[in-house]
Amino acid sequence: MINLQNVSYKYPLTDKQVLKDINLQVQPGEFVAVIGPNGAGKSTLCYAISGFIPHFFKGELSGSVQVAGVESRQSTLSEWVLTVGLAFQNPFNQISGAKYTVFEEIAFGLENIGVPRDEMITRVEQAMAMTGITALAQRSPFSLSGGQQQRVALTSILVMQPQVLVLDEPTSQLDPIGAREVFGVIRAMSHSGMTVILVEHKVEWIASFADRVVALHEGSILLDGRPDDVLTSPFLEARGFGLSRYTQAARAAALDGLWSPGRRLPVTLEQAVDGFSLEARRDADSH
Amino acid sequence: MQERLSLYIQRDSWLHALNPLTKLSLTFAFILVGFLSPWYWTALVLVFAGILPLSFFGRVQREYFWTALRLLVPVAGFIFIMQALFLPVGTQELFRWLIFHPTRESLAQGFLTATRIFVMVSSFILFLLTTHPSEMMSDLTRRGLPGQFAYVIVSTLQIIPQMQAKAQTIIAAQRSRGLDTEGSYFKRIGALVPLVGPLVFGSLVEVEERAIAIEARGFTSTRQKTFLREIKDSPIDRTIRISLVGLVLLTLLAKLWR
Repeated sequence: MINLQNVSYKYPLTDKQVLKDINLQVQPGEFVAVIGPNGAGKSTLCYAISGFIPHFFKGELSGSVQVAGVESRQSTLSEWVLTVGLAFQNPFNQISGAKYTVFEEIAFGLENIGVPRDEMITRVEQAMAMTGITALAQRSPFSLSGGQQQRVALTSILVMQPQVLVLDEPTSQLDPIGAREVFGVIRAMSHSGMTVILVEHKVEWIASFADRVVALHEGSILLDGRPDDVLTSPFLEARGFGLSRYTQAARAAALDGLWSPGRRLPVTLEQAVDGFSLEARRDADSH
Repeated sequence: MQERLSLYIQRDSWLHALNPLTKLSLTFAFILVGFLSPWYWTALVLVFAGILPLSFFGRVQREYFWTALRLLVPVAGFIFIMQALFLPVGTQELFRWLIFHPTRESLAQGFLTATRIFVMVSSFILFLLTTHPSEMMSDLTRRGLPGQFAYVIVSTLQIIPQMQAKAQTIIAAQRSRGLDTEGSYFKRIGALVPLVGPLVFGSLVEVEERAIAIEARGFTSTRQKTFLREIKDSPIDRTIRISLVGLVLLTLLAKLWR
């Protein structure tokens, strides 16, 4: 679905390579999480996949970015966004400002691409039901809370039904309950066959949702693999990545001999509970 | 805080139901007739026989009166007095007092200008009171106005109040760090400096992100746009528009022949 080959990129008027020789292949329907410290190039990677590099940000792009077999350079941005949808961090700036109600706001994209009115209404209603914002339909988008705006921004992209969904920290403004709901929506989209690229700091969520994790560091891919392998890798902490607190707890326990060296480190609460109860049973058996 | 910069009042009226272009034509017809007409009483007739009754039809008479009273009467009155007293035209002096010597002609000219301004601004007020901005822009976009142009107008109306709110937040934040925003003029001007940086640079970043967000929703798509709002354009609308054009042409003829 997505095929990046030897992709390097410099923003205009800078010398620093923000992406260095990135190679990334993503299968249709795959759910890939991207992690990395600040300045690792996560957002830049999102822009490259969603066509904003090279169509919106100029600068120097080398290598090849293909989605669904089409090279991004050879397409136009307005056609590219029909295949790849992008939602990002700050929800306030994603509100178009041209519309007075949430319903109209979500329909904005469909108006632009010429979806017939009846179909438009059905699609907006479905998308709002999916993200649980039906009750907000007649509110002004500017009167909403950050979390509600975030869901409106996500819905505005989902309603366009792209094949690939690129999400750059879509839960940054959300409380834990709101974040869980949004992750639920993202997972539902993934299950329905959409390819998802998600930049996210909440490691525990990634571990339970993503098929695959890519760790970016200073513009290069450091690790790429299954969530359990990548997220517990000893490489990460030294390079400024945040580990989940369960991983940290198990590592501390391992120093005191309370976690056997052979056992895989946990990322989520469930894995930690399972691991520690096995350890406790092992202790009880040996005494 | 005000949520948006718009005078629009939602009412169920005959005037609200007219097509936005019809109402816009009505506004411009009032203005053109008011300014082109060769007779000094035309503007006054337009107000009392046109705009006032329409404000009742649109069920916004109260809001219209208020805006007219607070905004227009002082402005028009000021223009009238200034022109009447200082316009150096005419010979029939009415009286002479200190440096003031109004004439019949300057009085008539002041009256004409004041009533014309009154017609111009108040017909726009009536238009804005009864027309939803995004309805107007959808309708004009459908008729071929570039989408970018419509976007700039409508989004400015909404984003300016947001920026005002942000400026308030920045002021509050700077004051909580000890910035003194009260006192002499110089002090107050000096206090603007730490406000301008965050507001201006913050807004530039915002503009870039918003541009990305609307591009991501196909804003520059070359496909034929569709519209969520259905805007009626009845035969009555078209009849009104044609007769308005006729009216303006008649006024023009009257001006040329007199």
